[in-house]
Amino acid sequence: MKKIIRVQNLTFTYEAGRPPALKDLNLVIGEGEYIAIIGPNGCGKTTLIRHFNALLLPSTGEVQVDGLSTQDHNSLLEIRRRVGMVFQNPDNQIVGMSVEEDVAFGPGNLGLPAAEVRRRVDQALATVGLTGFQTRPPHTLSGGQKQLLALAGLLAMNPKIIILDEPTSSLDPAGKKNVLTLLQKLNCQGIGIIHITHSMDEAAIADRVLVMDRGELIADGSPDEILSRVEWLKSLGLAPPKVTELMWQLQQGGEDVGTSIFTLDDAFNEITALLAQLRSSTNAYISGKVREHV
Amino acid sequence: MYKLGHYFPRESAVHRRDPRVKIIAVIALSIIIMHVNAIGLLIATGMTIAVSQLALIPLKSLLKTLRPVLPFFFCLFLMYIFFTPGRPLPLFPIGLVQISYEGLHLGLLQVWKFVFLVVAASILTMTTPQSEITMGLERLLRPLVILGISSHNIAMMVSLALRFMPTLLDEMNSISEAQLARGANFNPRRINGKIKAISYLAWPLSINIFRRCNELVDAMEARGYQQGHRTYLRELVLNHADYYLIGALTVIVIAVLLWHP
Repeated sequence: MKKIIRVQNLTFTYEAGRPPALKDLNLVIGEGEYIAIIGPNGCGKTTLIRHFNALLLPSTGEVQVDGLSTQDHNSLLEIRRRVGMVFQNPDNQIVGMSVEEDVAFGPGNLGLPAAEVRRRVDQALATVGLTGFQTRPPHTLSGGQKQLLALAGLLAMNPKIIILDEPTSSLDPAGKKNVLTLLQKLNCQGIGIIHITHSMDEAAIADRVLVMDRGELIADGSPDEILSRVEWLKSLGLAPPKVTELMWQLQQGGEDVGTSIFTLDDAFNEITALLAQLRSSTNAYISGKVREHV
Repeated sequence: MYKLGHYFPRESAVHRRDPRVKIIAVIALSIIIMHVNAIGLLIATGMTIAVSQLALIPLKSLLKTLRPVLPFFFCLFLMYIFFTPGRPLPLFPIGLVQISYEGLHLGLLQVWKFVFLVVAASILTMTTPQSEITMGLERLLRPLVILGISSHNIAMMVSLALRFMPTLLDEMNSISEAQLARGANFNPRRINGKIKAISYLAWPLSINIFRRCNELVDAMEARGYQQGHRTYLRELVLNHADYYLIGALTVIVIAVLLWHP
């Protein structure tokens, strides 16, 4: 797999004399990967991703995006064209007076001609499903629609990777679902996703989960490996998915179930299987007893 | 909420004109108006009303835009009639109060001119979307680059201000609701109650604005914003009619300046 982001010995300190927000971090992210970053508040997640598009520069160490160092001022625009970022508050990232003008902001910064800007705006709005909203003032959109608009603004720049910092934290369930479905769709089109989240249900969608604590990367693996470690997640102050915790409690109670289960459907199947097994063994037991009796 | 000179979406020849032509027209009118007498003012007023009808804006909505500025104009009128020396009107002076013919004449004329300017500017904002006005300004101010001022930056500032106006209004409402919910009780009918309410709003609002600014700057940088040249969704193109209009306006301004220096 081609590497898109390479982090080498990254240490970052906000203020001299204070403990570093990131400690000697090493990380390689491949093109088109869907990554979730989880960790308690203040663990450095946001600080880390802000290095990926050169909003922050390393105190020591290096971050490379597609072979370009973030410290090189001349490659700033190229890096930001490749790495799009969606922030937590949808309101403070919309700059246009209308939906279409906001989407046109990024391509306009790249200096593209008006016809190309128009083409990209229409395409991006179609991808996120906001066609028909072109001339609406952004403040009349719902929270979910605002985040879709923010994503459209990034898509118009043809990014290779999109970073999202708790994009769903202020959305209603329908808005959340729209955003998550779109992320999966974009990932299928080959766009890499890095998703910071507190929701383990959202992390379970990713291909790879990174866990951070106190400025360090303490685990890196598939959702199966990471999210099934219920006790360990709880010790970090994180809440594993509800269904996983249920399976874990069943397992603790001596039942024969796995804990690599993150969706309701999987949990249903696992429990039905368990019940079927139970029923057949009970039946066998009863029929054995009956035969004995006769 | 009442919006001063809010955009009126219509299909008209005035709406279709390039925003630069309309901005230039308003500037030209304000120069002309300051140099003409009552007859010239009457002609200009007639033409402006004709333009507003061409733009399919009802006179009533046009006059409504005057409502917020009327008290100011009334004070202005009083100043003129009381403080202009000249031949007193019949029955005057009453005590120390004196009103002169000249004062009445000047007062009416000046207030008419100000009313006219507000109406002309309202026709601009009613027939042109805000984004087009900003773009028009950006193009008109491009020559300022000689002075080291980037018109792109000015346009960006204007459009951000307009973009965040409704957001900040919402925020202001939620702050004052939060204060009411915690038992704040400012009597809005009394002037000191009003001042108190404003000062209690100002602090949290300005702190929030700075916080928003920080995030906005990050978001803009993340989207590749750099000072200086950029492109837009639409490019403004002047057609023949636009050039003729600009030409005609220039000729009129020069003529007026020559005859009434």
